Parts: sequence; C-alpha cells; structure tokens
Amino acid sequence: MSLSQQTEIEARELYARLNRGEPLVILDVRHADEYKLGAIEARVAVPQLNLPYFAFIEDEDEALAQIPFTREQDIVVVCAKGGSSEFVAELMRDKGYRTINLIGGMRDWKDFYALEDLITPSPDFQIVQFNRPAKASLSYLIASQGDALVVDPNRNLQPYLDEAKRRGLTIRHVMDTHVHADYVSGGVALSRATGATYHLSGTCGFEGELATDGKPGSIPLGSTAVRKIATPGHTPGSMSLLVNETFLLTGDTVFVRGVGRPDLGGQAEPWAKQLYQTLTVTLGDLSDETVVLPAHYSCHKEMRDDFTISGTLGEIRRENEGMQAASEEEFIAYIKRNMRPSPETYARIRQVNLAVLRVDETELEELDLGKNECAASQTR
Amino acid sequence: MSTISETKTLDAQGLKCPMPIVKAKKELDTLSAGEILKVVATDKGSVLDFQGWAKTAKTAKLLDQETVSEGGRELYVHYIERV
Repeated sequence: MSLSQQTEIEARELYARLNRGEPLVILDVRHADEYKLGAIEARVAVPQLNLPYFAFIEDEDEALAQIPFTREQDIVVVCAKGGSSEFVAELMRDKGYRTINLIGGMRDWKDFYALEDLITPSPDFQIVQFNRPAKASLSYLIASQGDALVVDPNRNLQPYLDEAKRRGLTIRHVMDTHVHADYVSGGVALSRATGATYHLSGTCGFEGELATDGKPGSIPLGSTAVRKIATPGHTPGSMSLLVNETFLLTGDTVFVRGVGRPDLGGQAEPWAKQLYQTLTVTLGDLSDETVVLPAHYSCHKEMRDDFTISGTLGEIRRENEGMQAASEEEFIAYIKRNMRPSPETYARIRQVNLAVLRVDETELEELDLGKNECAASQTR
Repeated sequence: MSTISETKTLDAQGLKCPMPIVKAKKELDTLSAGEILKVVATDKGSVLDFQGWAKTAKTAKLLDQETVSEGGRELYVHYIERV
C-alpha cells in the first residue's frame, strides 16, 4: 500500500516510472485546447483521459462518472501549473481514488530533462544524454579530465550547471550544432554564465556580442579527441561532433529514424543536395560501429532498453529510411514527398537564437512551447 | 468597455487556477436566473477556462469577456449570466 499513499510526484520521477512500464494512468484536467498542443508521452503508451477541471466544479458526480479509471489504479492528475490538478486530486482522494498530483504541472514537465549516462569505451571521457521529453530534444554533456563541453543546450540551464558541479567539472565549451528553429537555445546564456567558448558555425549569421568559434576543427577537451565536422544540409551551417572517433553527435543532420529536414529554409532542393553529400561522402568514411547521438527523436520507439536514444551508423545505414536512397535524385524525391509546412514560430525562434531579435521572457516561453518538426519523416 | 450591467462583482485578482472558477460557481449559485456576475481575474488561463466551463455548465452562460490594462497589468474580465 506504500505506493498508494504517494500524493504528489515530480516530472522527472513520473517520466522514469512511465518508462519502466509502471501501470500508472493519467488524468489531464487542462482545457481541451491546451491538451491538444502537447500531452505527457513516454516510452510506454500510458492510458490517459482529458477531462477539464471545471467539469468537477460544475458537477462533481457527473465528472467522476466519466472517469474510466478504478480506485485500484494509481492516477496521476496533470494540469498547466499544478493548482487545478491538486484540487481534482484531493477531491477524488476524498472519494476513495488513489490520485497523485504532478507537481508544477506541464510547466515543470516541459522544462525537465531525464539524464542518462552513455557507456563509453574508455574511462577518460564520459557522455551524459539530457533528454527533454516535452520537445523530444536531446542535448549532451561530454567530460574529460575535469573539462566539460555542452552540446545543444536547451533553455533550462540549471541541470547542466548542476551536473557539471556534481561531477566536479568546469564547462569550457558550449556548442550549438546549428541554429535551432524549433526551440530556444540555451547556448549563448550557458556560455555567458560559465565563461565557456561558444561554438556555432560562422556561416549561420550569429549577431550576438559573444565571440564565437565558427570553424571546423578540434576542440581541446581533457585527453579526448573532439572534432567539429561541417555537415551541411539541414542548415548550411550544420556541424557534427566526433568524439574519440567513437561517438558522432549529429545535431539534426541524421536521426535514429529519418534525417534533418533540409526544407525549413525555403530552399529544399539545394539544401537536400548538400545533405545527400554529407550523408554519403562526409559521413561515408565513418565505421558502422560509430554511435550516432542525435539532437532529436521522432517518437519513443527510438528509445533503447537502457533509456538512451542512439543508434550505430551501421543500424542507421540499414534501417533509417532517409539513408536508403540509391541516388541524389531519389533522395531529393524522398525529401519532397515528406515536405510539410513548418510551424509559424520557426522563423522567429531562429532569429532569437541568432541574437537578431530580442523578445521578453513571456514570448520566449511561448515560442519554446511547441513540439519539434525537424525530421524529414515523422514516424508517429 | 462592456455595456453589460452586472448584478454582482467577484474580485478574483491574484487568485490562481482553479480558484476563479470555484468562486465564480459559488457566487453564481446565489444569484437568480437572469442576474449577471462580473468576474475580475489576473490569471490569463481564466480566459479559455471560463469559455470551457460555460460550454458545459447548466446554470452559467458566458455573455462577454474583455481584457483591460490597468496599472501596468492585464485584467481578464468575464460576464456570466445565471440561467
């Protein structure tokens, strides 16, 4: 009965328990329009019902009659900020239900990262994957001999700072693999906060005051070989990062499933040609054993049994549909078949990330809300 | 400004979700059919939530909503008729 006594849960714990396949169910009490914009997802499909909290205020019995869950189930109640869900959770608990309130609601859910260590072949370096489920985005902390490099940080900086501190690391480098269009980057802010060198390709058009290191080449990090490689296609300035000749952080160039959309800049064909060159020639020399660590996933089916999202180049060459084209023409045709409108916010997010545009905190939060649409194919 | 004349005003400033609707429902239950409750809230989420509630509510009809800037902050005003 100990589990049934739990009355609240943090986003990170909820995600971990859902991923482990624990039989939780979700009652989302937000307005239907908010629910449609994004709900809780994890590795295992979770039964959920959207029934707005005001239905409970209007007619408690009628609302309770609509709930398909039983008093024997652990019901996680979710709302925007945690207030209404607490109200509903308490009301249901009084009726004998086992309800658990998600602390901070979706506001906390959209900003938390699940951290997973990757297994590296050498004790000289470590890689931590930061998975932000609300955006299906992945960022990384690479450590070697007390030095750290953070790649593609999202807006919530504290977890990177905390993890570096916990491991006794100094963040010396921060890199954005490209100008993100789907989330507000934490790159510049993290560089400022730590004094780290900021890496972003010189061809991106960054206009901030911060000095950037924009050229391909090696990044000094402890005893580990780290090399930036130009991998244009998703954007002309996209770079990948090869760590210890073993791990390839690809940004949005290639994912476990699908490849980065080359059509977001309105020049689908020339960028698709660049991407084809990158995938077949630039990355063509790397061995099948190279482990690809992308900046996104398209669905939780990509998550491995150890809760990381990764794939070897061999697996990706065999199974990723974006890698199956036999010629440039076939590849361009594949890209064009999968083209769809890009979200309206993307142009604005890109400008914010290039420091061309400054917006207030409220707008930053709104821009950062939607899901990513960066993969050429959505397997969802 | 709305031209609706309210019977009663509920000050829900500073209240966070779900309290504006909890209190509005309670106040509305004290009114007679045809009387109007004006709710003044500072919670932005109340705009969508009052719409959603009114859609399913048996005794409430949302007549109008407006946003008023006052003293550097936004007030979200809802007019609800008891039916």
